[in-house]
Amino acid sequence: MRKLTKSEFQKFVTALIGSDQQVVGVQAKGDRFAFGPLERSEDLRLDYDVTLLPPKKYVLPQVETLMTYEVGGGYQSHMDSEKLILLGVHPYDLVAINQMDKLFGQDQYDAHYMARRKNITLIACDVVTPSKNVFASSMGTAVVTEGYDILITDIANGYVLDAATDKGRALMKLAPGGTEASPDDLAKRKAVQDKNKTQLNQHPLKCKPSYLPKLLERAYDHPIWEEKARTCYSCGSCNTTCPTCYCFDVQDDVNWDLATGKRWRAWDGCLLENFATVAGDHNFRKKRESRFRHRLYRKAKYVPEKIGGEIACVGCGRCITACIPDIANPVAIYNALLEDIGME
Amino acid sequence: MSKPRVAIFDFACCEGCQLQIVNLEEEILDLIGVVDVVEWREAMSEQSQEYDIALIEGSITRPEDEERVREIRKRAKILVALGACATIGGVNKLKNNFDIEEVKKCVYGKDAQMPHLATAMTKSVDEVVPVDFKIQGCPIDRKEFTYVVRCLLMGKTPVIPDYPVCVECKAKENVCRWEYGEVCLGPIIRAGCGARCPSSHFRCFGCRGYTDNPNVDAAKEVMDKYGLTVEDLKQKMELFGSKQGHTI
Amino acid sequence: MCECCSSQKDIYLPELATIRKKQKFTRLEMYYHVELDSGKELGHKAGQFVEVSIAGIGEAPISISSSPTQSGFELVVRNAGSVTNAIHKLDSGAKIGIRGPFGKGYPVDEMKGKNLVFICGGLGLAPQRSFINYVLDNRKDYGDVEILLGTKCFEDRFYVDELAKLAQRKDVSFTETLDIGCDQWKGNVGVVTTIIPKVKTDLSKAHVLVCGPPVMYKFVLMSLAEAKTPKQNIFVNLERRMKCGVGKCGHCQMNDQYVCQTGPVYRFSELGHVPEAI
Ligand SMILES: Cc1cc2nc3c(=O)[nH]c(=O)nc-3n(C[C@H](O)[C@H](O)[C@H](O)COP(=O)(O)OP(=O)(O)OC[C@H]3O[C@@H](n4cnc5c(N)ncnc54)[C@H](O)[C@@H]3O)c2cc1C
Ligand code: SF4
Ligand code: SF4
Ligand code: SF4
Ligand code: SF4
Ligand code: SF4
Ligand code: FES
Repeated sequence: MRKLTKSEFQKFVTALIGSDQQVVGVQAKGDRFAFGPLERSEDLRLDYDVTLLPPKKYVLPQVETLMTYEVGGGYQSHMDSEKLILLGVHPYDLVAINQMDKLFGQDQYDAHYMARRKNITLIACDVVTPSKNVFASSMGTAVVTEGYDILITDIANGYVLDAATDKGRALMKLAPGGTEASPDDLAKRKAVQDKNKTQLNQHPLKCKPSYLPKLLERAYDHPIWEEKARTCYSCGSCNTTCPTCYCFDVQDDVNWDLATGKRWRAWDGCLLENFATVAGDHNFRKKRESRFRHRLYRKAKYVPEKIGGEIACVGCGRCITACIPDIANPVAIYNALLEDIGME
Repeated sequence: MSKPRVAIFDFACCEGCQLQIVNLEEEILDLIGVVDVVEWREAMSEQSQEYDIALIEGSITRPEDEERVREIRKRAKILVALGACATIGGVNKLKNNFDIEEVKKCVYGKDAQMPHLATAMTKSVDEVVPVDFKIQGCPIDRKEFTYVVRCLLMGKTPVIPDYPVCVECKAKENVCRWEYGEVCLGPIIRAGCGARCPSSHFRCFGCRGYTDNPNVDAAKEVMDKYGLTVEDLKQKMELFGSKQGHTI
Repeated sequence: MCECCSSQKDIYLPELATIRKKQKFTRLEMYYHVELDSGKELGHKAGQFVEVSIAGIGEAPISISSSPTQSGFELVVRNAGSVTNAIHKLDSGAKIGIRGPFGKGYPVDEMKGKNLVFICGGLGLAPQRSFINYVLDNRKDYGDVEILLGTKCFEDRFYVDELAKLAQRKDVSFTETLDIGCDQWKGNVGVVTTIIPKVKTDLSKAHVLVCGPPVMYKFVLMSLAEAKTPKQNIFVNLERRMKCGVGKCGHCQMNDQYVCQTGPVYRFSELGHVPEAI
């Protein structure tokens, strides 16, 4: 592990920006933060609390062309091939990306996602400022030991950088100076991580995350779904802002020649009213409460079944902030269920 | 194959939506390349009889306008309502909240009784004749307009969002207006504008009309939570929500 | 393009196919015989479906209506919206895109030697026919075969020539009913559940395959419960909204099941923990 002083680190970021890869980093957006193309190293804000949208938007873009075609003729695949450095990914968001890697890679291999993913270098960073709704400590996602190319930890008098992959090590060659991290630096790094393990916890979950699938097994007909969903707008903000939501819609549009066009996919959300509607207006998930319940089951039961038991809620707290009627908080729901039907 | 014949008509409105079309710039040439514009008061004055697509802008406010709309409907294979005035009655519907004679007096003073100023309750186009497609918004969104036209030319039903503005607003990474204590109608209004207003730091005032199934009860309850009253919400709804059906 | 994409197939990319035959079935349904331009067979199993792609309009999941034992494949398409409307406008010789076959289909081998009862409602005949014809082509492998068909009205019947032939066969029992009778119709009148009591095969031992509109399942399953058909012997063929067909987009999900992957054919006993199914 290397240690860079703050000014060395800034030079490193400048070198990354000057490289042949596009650098996307966390920057201020009004009084909040967002990932965006980074033009100057001084705009990078590794002290951010949480970004408005997760870095998912670079891994699974909001709108992505899948293919182009001639009407009545052939189809050609369209793949993104730009190399990209994602700089400043928090551990919980990193876990979400790693989960998505599994989901798009398993069974039927999604070449569009995987091609883009392989071109992305993930530079993660440990959290400095807890956000107002984060509960990553409860979900075991407050710190990470794998899944990144480089992990940065702010230890006040500098940064410790852990390059874990060839991709990461190649980038480290651009880092000017620096020293091998001393035992003291490493102790400071550990202290930051130990603190995050318990302190990123504005909504403490009253059970181990691994218990959630079992809890939900007994909660399907619980009145809580209806109680909460009564004031649900079906606005899908809890989907749109979630780092682990990956459902999509597919649509066509033609060019003005009406002879060529493209097919694209775009983010979708299971809370939206017509997510499961088929031709003839039959909606298989018509009630607000069944859509509301589906999201929670996806996060803590259905998706975990596909990825070896990992819970697909990483505790970023974005859905809590986004939900105007304040009903989306997963911990509030799980804790209420625990209270009511207990552990088995 | 001859090009589809398209006609554009305007009724009571500010003609801002037509302006959006004129402002298409390069795309207007693409559009003219694939359709024959046969009637368009704003831009040309040819007359013709049958239309593959008739676009109607503006709301229906006078009895003789109703006649004209029925005539257009008869001649058009596809009838499209263009912009909030045509789709939901728009700002013009505000007057429905008042006594009609009062409105006339207020607007025209002592000329109020002149026959050419005869005015009735404002109607959206689909309150007079069946409408095949609606392009929402005040004014319409250019991208959506061109998309809908291409769909119609392809014989396809355009996929218009049936979800709320919040979807697009969140996708644009806006901070929610509610967090600043503003009553934004985004959660119950149909998306498709790209969350135009919240993206410019204004609340959504509902120009695209409600979603198919807005949770108005939730809206009332949420007011409490934010220390606002239903009256506050009612006020926000009035500009575009007047007699739209689901008004609180 | 990088090596990873060229080595892996693009699961969203349709391959070209040509419509070889088209026939109007009813007011809403059209029949198509299709061949892949690659010259290869689709290689489907009875009960699977394809995503039919019309460039510029979109895709729609359509069941394969023909048995894997014949060459090319057949579709029956109901005009229900943009994509299906566009398919209806196409004539012989037109190109369409095809992805698939997708889904699991019927367990055709497991059912060998068993008595089979097919219960079809309306368009539900189209997917069931892939297995019916498979069974008829391998008739000696299966026990008794009974087919029940319910259609809304006389004009909505399709595959009428084949139905007439079915009615003639000695090795198959075929019973048909119309929801609404009329002068041309001399047969049964009433919904499909009204002809279930006419089944000659012992329903408590038979394998029963059900496909029809969403409303039909509840009533048929109630009748089968009365007839004591074990749940593990009942197979249902379900419809859901589908976008990707390959287990990614999330649209077809009912609880933890992705219909495009683990369906559309399900053993009823396996749906016990899937309350969203029926
Ligand atoms: C497994 C399976 C087998 C089937 N087999 C058959 C069969 O054999 N024969 C048959 O006729 N039918 C079959 N169907 C039904 C058939 O797939 C539908 O009728 C068809 O998809 C309708 O598509 P459409 O484009 O014609 O209609 P539309 O509903 O008009 O859809 C238009 C397009 O817009 C999309 N769309 C519609 N609403 C929205 C929205 N709110 N948001 C975003 N996009 C939207 C649609 O997905 C589609 O791409 C089957 C369905 C399934 C799941
Ligand atoms: S469910 Fe909520 S807290 Fe969990 S990952 Fe998604 S947005 Fe974050
Ligand atoms: S089903 Fe719902 S919760 Fe799950 S990924 Fe899709 S949108 Fe997100
Ligand atoms: S953010 Fe809240 S109101 Fe909106 S869909 Fe999710 S739960 Fe419902
Ligand atoms: S600002 Fe308005 S549109 Fe945007 S998320 Fe908030 S309520 Fe929805
Ligand atoms: S944000 Fe609301 S008011 Fe503004 S354009 Fe969109 S729908 Fe109209
Ligand atoms: S159709 Fe996309 S997951 Fe099944």
